[in-house]
Amino acid sequence: MPFDHALTRRAFLQTIVPVSAAAASSAVASTLPEKICSWVMLIDLNRCTGCQSCTIACKAESGAARGVLNTRVLVYDTNADGRIKFLPTLCNHCDTPACLPACPETAIAKREDGIVTIDWALCVGEGACVQACPYDACHIDTVNVKADKCDFCLDRLQAGRPPACVESCASKARLFGNVFDPEDAVTVALKKYKYTVRNGLPAGRVFYIPRSEVKGGANV
Amino acid sequence: MFKNVRLSHKGAMRPIRRLFCTGGLAFAASLFLPTHLRAGKISLKGRVSRQERGQTTYARSGTQSRFVYTSCLGCNARCGMRAQVQGGTLVEVSGNPYHPYNSAFNPIDYTTPSEASLPLASPVCGKAKEAPNILYNPYRLLKPLKRSGARGTGKFEPIEWAQLITEVAEGGQLFKSFGDQRYYPGLRAYMKDDLIDPAAPELGTVRNQVVFIGGRDQAGYKEFTDRFIKDAFGSINRISHTDICGLGFRMGNFALTDGKQVELKADPVNAEYILVFGANIYEALQPGINTYGATLAARVAEGKLKFTIVDPRSTNASVHAHRLLPVKPGEDGALAMCMLRRIIETKSYDVAFLRAPNASAAAALGRGSYTNATHLVICEEGHPHNGRMLRWSDLQLEKKEVTSEAAPAEDPFVVLNDEGGAEPHNIGGLQSAALDAEARLTPAGGTAKDAITVKTAFRIMKEELCAHRSEYYAQRCGVELSEIIAVADEFSAYGHKAAVCQYHGAGNYPGGAYAAYAIALLNVLVGSIDMRGGYLKGGGAAAKWNEGPYDLKKFPGMRKPSGVRISREKSVYESSAEYARKKAAGGSGYPAERPWFAFTQGGLCVESLSGIAQQYPYKCGVLFTYYFNPIYSIPGGDTFTRALADPEVLPLHISIDVGINESNLYADYIVPALTYLEGQYAFLTPHAPGMKFTAVRTPVVAPLTGHTIDGRPFSLETFLIDLAKQLALPGFGEGALPLRDGGHISLHRAEDYYIRGIANLAANVGLPEADSTELRFVEANYPVADYKHLITPQEWRQCCYLLARGGVFNRRYEDDFDSRGAHKYGNEKLLVYNERMAGAINSITGKRFKGSVCLADVTDSYGTPVAKTDTDYPLTLVTYKMNVHAQSRSGWHKWSMEVFPENYVYLHPQDARQLHIDDGERVCITSRHCTAGVTGTTRISPSVRPGCAAISFHYGHTQLGASSLAVQAAETVFLGGQRICDAIGLRGDPKLGAGILPNRLGRLDVPLGNTPLVDVLSGIPDFSSTRVAIRPLKS
Repeated sequence: MPFDHALTRRAFLQTIVPVSAAAASSAVASTLPEKICSWVMLIDLNRCTGCQSCTIACKAESGAARGVLNTRVLVYDTNADGRIKFLPTLCNHCDTPACLPACPETAIAKREDGIVTIDWALCVGEGACVQACPYDACHIDTVNVKADKCDFCLDRLQAGRPPACVESCASKARLFGNVFDPEDAVTVALKKYKYTVRNGLPAGRVFYIPRSEVKGGANV
Repeated sequence: MFKNVRLSHKGAMRPIRRLFCTGGLAFAASLFLPTHLRAGKISLKGRVSRQERGQTTYARSGTQSRFVYTSCLGCNARCGMRAQVQGGTLVEVSGNPYHPYNSAFNPIDYTTPSEASLPLASPVCGKAKEAPNILYNPYRLLKPLKRSGARGTGKFEPIEWAQLITEVAEGGQLFKSFGDQRYYPGLRAYMKDDLIDPAAPELGTVRNQVVFIGGRDQAGYKEFTDRFIKDAFGSINRISHTDICGLGFRMGNFALTDGKQVELKADPVNAEYILVFGANIYEALQPGINTYGATLAARVAEGKLKFTIVDPRSTNASVHAHRLLPVKPGEDGALAMCMLRRIIETKSYDVAFLRAPNASAAAALGRGSYTNATHLVICEEGHPHNGRMLRWSDLQLEKKEVTSEAAPAEDPFVVLNDEGGAEPHNIGGLQSAALDAEARLTPAGGTAKDAITVKTAFRIMKEELCAHRSEYYAQRCGVELSEIIAVADEFSAYGHKAAVCQYHGAGNYPGGAYAAYAIALLNVLVGSIDMRGGYLKGGGAAAKWNEGPYDLKKFPGMRKPSGVRISREKSVYESSAEYARKKAAGGSGYPAERPWFAFTQGGLCVESLSGIAQQYPYKCGVLFTYYFNPIYSIPGGDTFTRALADPEVLPLHISIDVGINESNLYADYIVPALTYLEGQYAFLTPHAPGMKFTAVRTPVVAPLTGHTIDGRPFSLETFLIDLAKQLALPGFGEGALPLRDGGHISLHRAEDYYIRGIANLAANVGLPEADSTELRFVEANYPVADYKHLITPQEWRQCCYLLARGGVFNRRYEDDFDSRGAHKYGNEKLLVYNERMAGAINSITGKRFKGSVCLADVTDSYGTPVAKTDTDYPLTLVTYKMNVHAQSRSGWHKWSMEVFPENYVYLHPQDARQLHIDDGERVCITSRHCTAGVTGTTRISPSVRPGCAAISFHYGHTQLGASSLAVQAAETVFLGGQRICDAIGLRGDPKLGAGILPNRLGRLDVPLGNTPLVDVLSGIPDFSSTRVAIRPLKS
């Protein structure tokens, strides 16, 4: 069954508040200083058309090596009800990333804004993170012999632009923003909708709004 | 920095605007303090290019990046595109926030300064993102090629431009170098006004033996080729590819609007119930997936819309569909007729609308159009006008009275008033007429023996619908009757907010015009046509581009081609010498050798090729093909291989294309074409539904192809201009473009023509002149600015206003409806009965076609049902497009090919069990005309209807890089150079040949000599009735 791990808003906030003295004392994001960012992606499966625009936009943006897809839309086309279903996937930027301690080179870091990065200056591409990742979101780039994964388009964020997958999503199935900003579309949506993480997997920075009418077998 | 951003509709860009858009760079930068950025261990993964790109995004022109607003051609959906160029290289593509198609019909205000628009996020789909992989594809041609061996051997050599022009124009013993002594006539041989056949003068002059078929046509370069082929050379054979694009559904709309409009769709913004017939809304369609599909998805998510899918495949949209009706392929008409019957039986149609007999009566009801439902049709065997609409003059026996008829200049139609009396349909004050009625009318001055039986168009439709029981329709279409009834009841309950979205799948088979007509009539019965929320046509162009200050249409010496097209489209067989001859010989005159298509939208590339292959009705001397790959793209297209390979059948074939494909492998010459990022200037109007705009495409980068001695790129336009100059044709070269004041200017290069088109458009709209910031922006960013000296400074400033926004998008979606919801640019009149269709004659059987809806069978041209003859092949082949692909060239979509490296044959588990086939198994798929079969991998899925095998297009290439070819000096011919070449020539990449091409299995028409199966009424190619057998490869 999908979405058997729905979080309450309270539980959600507890998981994403950065472990810093200022923030940990409060469970209410809006009281935090505005200039601190805490990135979250919220994917509305009621809007995802499976068009793969995000997948291709990610390839175009990241220049990921052949065979590496840092985000993609999984297609479930063998449902008994004949309906095709979709699940956009990417690095979950887990609160407690399993990849981080697995990396013997300490190339993986969890930033204060929630993003999990891999430092290619340290990475030797041996793939411990690939094995450790419960989301199947780390891949080995065989051209550069490094581990690769989504970094929420950190360089675009620096330039004041949303991640490539978010910009390319015409039906606005991917919302992305700073949950420390109470007016951010993501913050608003998190208040409005019931959301969850992927089936039984650890919480992080990617959440899903389940399809409202899941007819027949579902696949998230 | 960007203080004055004006977003007219708050919320249009809502989810991302706050953080990323409103304040531009300065604001955004404040969110990302340097200390914060250094909080984690950041490495940008060693990708220098990516890092640079991130840092220079939206830097002003003059530094490192250029930005150009233009239009995509990843497919023909016509979305806008914002291209980012660094150091002359295209690095990124995003959307145009001014363009309704990149903003789910809700763009930023047109007056927003372009500088403020640049930081705004704007989506494009995966196909657009692949632009660099099309532009920089290693298999692109840079130089003209001439074959250096027999056709189809793949032996080519690069030649000089001058040689290309001379040989194509003048002909000669062109292939003597390898022992072919044959004389090949060039274009000049056909520059005569001799008749092709003095015994058949209707065919026209030998000029018609020059044929040009455009695969990827769009307004702009289409008119440019028209200018050459039709206006300057004088051949009638400028043929488009409408038939394989989707003629079936277009013919339904053609019958409905009497040819005035072929594309209508459900209003995606305001409809509340959409019935999707054979339209792949989440994977293809025009407007495309990020416009129409995304709008529908968002509205379903918001609870504002339900849609039901009628399709043998679930399609990706099944994820959000209200209901799925997995119809039998080719039986959409039966399902629609069952619904129509239900709506009539339950009297849930829009009576007031249907009873309005004329435009003013409909307008009084607040409607955008009226129907001929109340107009009378002559149903009198033996009457000279039997089957036609009754005219007022038919009721006047004495001719004089007709001409003296005072009121209307035209001979009006006739309706019955409430007392049963006949009245002209347009007589003043007539608000309503009898709808479901028939009568015997005696003409004035006549007696009972002159009486004419007449029925209303509505009555004829009803009789046709009632010719079969509902249960029969349900059985024919393979959908439970209860489901059809439920959908019909829902559809009529939503009334003006219910509409159909029909596309390629609805009617792409023999008889498909009638299926699509029935589907279109659903919108008429519930009254949603031409209404907000209903079934709408496109609003058309913002203004004309080919007239205005510069006349790009007419020129001295312009020809007016005439005669019969090689496809026989829009020509009447009964006017031919062949018919007269057969009749004189004592026969009925039938059958014609091949069908003629008097009642069609046209664009019949399939029948053109069948005509060329059979040299009927005459021989083609020179064939030009542009961006056209018929062997690959036409179901059963393989059959044309023989004709294309034989110089006796087709003496000269010149292809203009970006690469060597499955078809121009057989060409004598291949001229390099530009991609849409370097050329293909275009003026793009909206697809249905709604909107009124003109998007403009100009180049993003300088052409990559080689160039002439005087510096013009090798391209379609340069080729046609130089051919015209060689042949001294009018309309090209020195003084070819007339000015308003009587002067003339020259046409030596593409820009001479297109920049004046842009100037015309800007002037005709009355755009303001760009301010100095926007002027600087365009001049520093747009390659087309190099040609600003060709127009006046004032015109250029107007052009800059347009170019800085990628076109003219000065109207909003809702502007197109009046206060009562009628579409201002809608149809005027809709036909429930089409007398022109009723007047068309089947040129094989000699029987008249019906003028109303009817249940047609899928048959070959001689009336034999395919299902009955191909019983050895138990499954019906269904084909479709995928969301990351277009048609024949998208194997070059490098990233898409990573996401989906191959396609599959989808089978229902029930069929798989019967055939003992497993998921993922390698199988051989055969058909009657492809007994050798094609091989592929299975996917067992309940998403396809039992009895069907679904295979997407796009795969199974043998060319465009998939095979090695003996091209001389290949490293100088292909963009990829040494990287893709070896001592022999081009080195093929087998990955590009992955997957299955379903068109290879296409059913052919046996009695017509094994040419692809088409509909005999209008030439619709068959995509839905090929039967296939599948067996495991191991056995």
